[in-house]
Amino acid sequence: MPLLEVKNLAASYGALTVLQNVNLSIEKGEVVSLIGSSGSGKSTLLRVLMGLLKPNAGEVRIDGEKVDYGSRSSLKSIRDRMAIVFQQYNLFQNMDVLKNVTIAPVEIKKRPRADVEREAKAILDRVGLSAKLKSYPDQLSGGQQQRVAIARALTLRPEILLLDEVTAALDPELVNEVLDTVRELAAEGITMLIVSHEMGFVREVSTRVVMMDKGQIVESGTPKEIFENPREPRTSAFVSKILRH
Amino acid sequence: MNYTLQYSVVLQQLPYLLGGALVTLQVAFLSFWLGAVIGLFGAVGKLKGNRLIRGLINAYVVFFTNTPALVQIFFLFYALPDVGILLDPMTAVVIGMTVNTGAYLTEILRGGILSVRRAEIETAEVLGMSHLQSLRYVILPHIAKTLFAPLSNFFVWLVLGSSMAAVFGVEELTGRAINISTANLRTIETFSVVALIYIALTVIASAALALVGRWCFRVTARIF
Ligand SMILES: Nc1ncnc2c1ncn2[C@@H]1O[C@H](COP(=O)(O)OP(=O)(O)OP(=O)(O)O)[C@@H](O)[C@H]1O
Ligand SMILES: [Mg+2]
Repeated sequence: MPLLEVKNLAASYGALTVLQNVNLSIEKGEVVSLIGSSGSGKSTLLRVLMGLLKPNAGEVRIDGEKVDYGSRSSLKSIRDRMAIVFQQYNLFQNMDVLKNVTIAPVEIKKRPRADVEREAKAILDRVGLSAKLKSYPDQLSGGQQQRVAIARALTLRPEILLLDEVTAALDPELVNEVLDTVRELAAEGITMLIVSHEMGFVREVSTRVVMMDKGQIVESGTPKEIFENPREPRTSAFVSKILRH
Repeated sequence: MNYTLQYSVVLQQLPYLLGGALVTLQVAFLSFWLGAVIGLFGAVGKLKGNRLIRGLINAYVVFFTNTPALVQIFFLFYALPDVGILLDPMTAVVIGMTVNTGAYLTEILRGGILSVRRAEIETAEVLGMSHLQSLRYVILPHIAKTLFAPLSNFFVWLVLGSSMAAVFGVEELTGRAINISTANLRTIETFSVVALIYIALTVIASAALALVGRWCFRVTARIF
């Protein structure tokens, strides 16, 4: 049974239909990358999965269990099982690094503070930030803030980690430190759904690549298939355009 | 003119005046915090409430920010007894100033809530926080930080504004000054000492607030 299964999903912003008939399934341990041009609906798909935008049609199942986006308890349960990191890192400005990472597990999930702090420190150490526990977001570089955001998501122990263009807001020299972190997570077998424009990285880290266009999934395959033998003209056009850079 | 200033009669009464200063602080403190609670409900209601709630809050804000606080307290003090509600002067003043403060803070806090980045609120949501939890952990600390200066100023303004309580016979700083000066007829001396006490109060309050802001909310305001 797939860990995450999306069937015929549709969503819109008001009158603007943004997702149509989206089908996707992710097995445990897979790293699936979503690619596609700007405005194709990649972020929207992740937002729908996290319950930030209600779907109009279709269904989402986690471990076979259907998600009811209208129910609070169901929303709570998906947010227990999935975590998301946004492009703009979105750290809480009023909290230091350690607090940012521990607030949800301690205050919301009521796990013992000492345990959570120990785990958070280990995770922050792994992303190279053990010296910054007491720093505030405005005292960190973009790359550091993004690694804190990833550590915050990991401390929630999600079954699936969603990453939305986590390097897009970073200066070029900071991109690799964040990508390295994600590479390590992939190597550890953490299930991920990644949106990225870093094609070299996508190719290297993904078990599967999914191409979106105009709110629909047009093609899905191994990185080799998508980058070397795309079946769809839209995929080859997108891939060749982006690889020319 | 051969009026000689005589401060000794006033200085003898210093403990009495300082006691009044304490009452002044109490009035300001109570009105501020009670008003802040009303303001918070008002702000959230105005942002999240249905049309009826928003309309009622708007009417409240418009009425109380467009009439003098003194007039509002006169109303409480002299009109309510006619319908059987008797208030002692202190209570009437605190209620009046609270309701007045609540109206102003509704608007100020609403602006503060709107200034929280949408992204932080969404993040709170995906981390599993309820509305109340995101208010507590994200919105209020943000407001405390960004609105610290205007809220501190508002508190100082309440310290000074509470002098109108004297009109209703509350023995706060101004009230006690009036008591003294009608007895000793040393109006100039009495009120110049009282003015200095007010300055000391507001300076100390501002400095204390700035320190609280710096320690608790990382507000980088200068103390003086
Ligand atoms: N909050 C919003 N309100 C209205 N329309 C929106 C909103 N967010 C996105 N859209 C629209 O939805 C469509 C899909 O946007 P989305 O952000 O999902 O694209 P994307 O694939 O993530 O693009 P990018 O690569 O630029 O991030 C676009 O047409 C966009 O204009
Ligand atoms: Mg996007």
